Amino acid sequence: MLEVKDLHVCVEEDPSEKILKGVNLTIGKGEIHAIMGPNGSGKSTLSKVVAGHEAYEVTQGDILFEGESILDLDPDERAHKGLFLAFQYPVEVPGVTNKTLLRQAYNTIAKEQGREELDPIEFEDYINERLNVVDMKPEFLDRSVNAGFSGGEKKRNEIFQMAVLNPKLSFLDETDSGLDIDALKIVANGINQIADEEKSVVMVTHYQRILDYIQPDHVHVMLDGKVVKSGDKDLALKLEEQGYDWLTDLASVSVNGEQN
Amino acid sequence: MAKLKQSNQSFLQDLLSFQGSLNGKSQFLDEVRLKGAEEVKNIPFPHRKDEDWRFISLRDLYTDDYELATRLDVSVPDISEHYLPESEGSRMVFVNGVYSEEHSQAEALPDEVEIGNIADLASEDHPLLKEHLGKYGNFEDDVFSSFNTAFLDDGAFIHVPKGVKVDAPIHLLFVQTEADVNYFATSRCLVLADESSEVTIVEDYIGLGDNKYFNLPVFEVNLEEEAYVKHTKIQRESKEAIHLARTGAFVAKHANYESYTITRGAKLSRNEPRISQRDEEVEFTVDGLVLIDGDQVSDTHSVMDHRFSHAESHQLHKCVINGKAHSVFNGKIFVRKDAQKIDSFQENRNLLLSRKGLVNTKPQLEIFADDVVCTHGATIGQLEEEEMFYLKSRGLNDQQARELLIYAFALETIENISVESVQKLLVDEVHKFTERQLDSQLTA
Repeated sequence: MLEVKDLHVCVEEDPSEKILKGVNLTIGKGEIHAIMGPNGSGKSTLSKVVAGHEAYEVTQGDILFEGESILDLDPDERAHKGLFLAFQYPVEVPGVTNKTLLRQAYNTIAKEQGREELDPIEFEDYINERLNVVDMKPEFLDRSVNAGFSGGEKKRNEIFQMAVLNPKLSFLDETDSGLDIDALKIVANGINQIADEEKSVVMVTHYQRILDYIQPDHVHVMLDGKVVKSGDKDLALKLEEQGYDWLTDLASVSVNGEQN
Repeated sequence: MAKLKQSNQSFLQDLLSFQGSLNGKSQFLDEVRLKGAEEVKNIPFPHRKDEDWRFISLRDLYTDDYELATRLDVSVPDISEHYLPESEGSRMVFVNGVYSEEHSQAEALPDEVEIGNIADLASEDHPLLKEHLGKYGNFEDDVFSSFNTAFLDDGAFIHVPKGVKVDAPIHLLFVQTEADVNYFATSRCLVLADESSEVTIVEDYIGLGDNKYFNLPVFEVNLEEEAYVKHTKIQRESKEAIHLARTGAFVAKHANYESYTITRGAKLSRNEPRISQRDEEVEFTVDGLVLIDGDQVSDTHSVMDHRFSHAESHQLHKCVINGKAHSVFNGKIFVRKDAQKIDSFQENRNLLLSRKGLVNTKPQLEIFADDVVCTHGATIGQLEEEEMFYLKSRGLNDQQARELLIYAFALETIENISVESVQKLLVDEVHKFTERQLDSQLTA
């Protein structure tokens, strides 16, 4: 479904700041992946680059979605193809209700994919049913997007948007961070309901904790802009016990090496 | 050879020659106009060296010749698309400054409400009109309001007596048509809200063409004790028009004056709302929304005059600027010496969508009392890259994302307007505005 090939990325405004230094990753249909790594390893950047953030520039390599390069596509065109990014820091949009945003987003994607758009009444039924995925009340729909939400509510809202927009591949950027155990269970439960044989999910996370509730098929470790190790869910447990130090010599270019 | 205007100083005075055609219908109005004309001769025309006029140029105004709008002989096109459904039975229409009885309706208004054309009421020597006209303008040394008075003729008069609550919003529609010549109009409104009365006024200026004219409206409103007036002004003059408007409001004890001014049209426009507290314990709101692009200039010079204790005032002035448009804001808040326990909020927020747009903003506090809470501030920002990315990652295209963000920015002002069709109309205007700004971006 998604192939990341030798991806090199720098910051648009400062090309000397290289963040990704040759990432290779393959996500198959219906698979759940976890990408782990310490702060600054490039895992959040990878999510944003896949979604099309304009602050980054791809200097080498490619990203293929369903066999086609998406590098030249705008973020909305990528969404139309079925990509989704749950933000680490969801943006507040005061004055625009969740319902308004989601109906416009849903119908735009539906139109681009050649599916039928939903009228306000049909959409109301649909969206109300989707609320159950993250255990939210209907009043929530009339609140402004993320405005005044707690950190946990924002994360739940990201998963709710994912449930409504029904993407083929979702990157969840630290969706688990800042959640208490109850909220974490709700979010994990939501993700489990959405992920099926057709849909793929990539969880970007610091912690093994959410993997107690969501079983990943593959776990990858990123260090210094590269995927340095891949394995199954036991790798996550090992990281939890031993940290990342045992992996640092796998990073071919160490931080110090680059500075010299 | 074309006549050359050498002096902006004599510009308005020269136009006084049109005045004679108005005389002879009402002795009262003749005298009022005469007094206005005297003032026009004595008050200097604004100059860029004047602090209050330093950011805008009036050159476009005084370098042309104009005809008096009411002397034009034009056929009136169908204007019914501009009617508000809520005001089907409560509407006054003025076309090029002339009151149009056939377009106006009053059957939805309670019998006690007096509504009529100023010129007609003046010829009947209407006592309330004579008593109150010109009392609330309060624009000393302002040549434009004096000029308006010098041409006082047709206009809207509304009197809501004690205890009367008017449900239907009163729509005052000022239509300016296309014409072969440049012309000038001086729209005038007087609203008297007696004790414990309630009324909603929509003051609406529409230019039907792209022609040049200037309009110098004056709107006066007096609120007696416990009166509640909601006043929405919508300015959609022709894109070549010049619109320099004054609003004077007196607010008595326990009264509440709520005003929302929407600026969308005219090449050059200026609003000067002046709210004057007349007793203790009042509330007033002077919110504004400005949507300008191309080479439009919009200027708001407001005065909130807190003269007595216990007032709550609110001014949220939001501007969206695109193209080479230029927005000016100067909000003066006065708190007089004995006016304690004042709670005043003022904020000017600007959303700048282009590199060539320009914003001058100057909140101005002059406080002579010590027990007051006044918050004020001004911000100038752009559409946030992160917000755009967020919405686009949800599948919204560039136009949809921009529109949603501009709408969200503007909504805070729009959502308080109580007339639903006006809200809709404004959402529509936001839509048209963002569509246009996207077009200009693509062709740039």
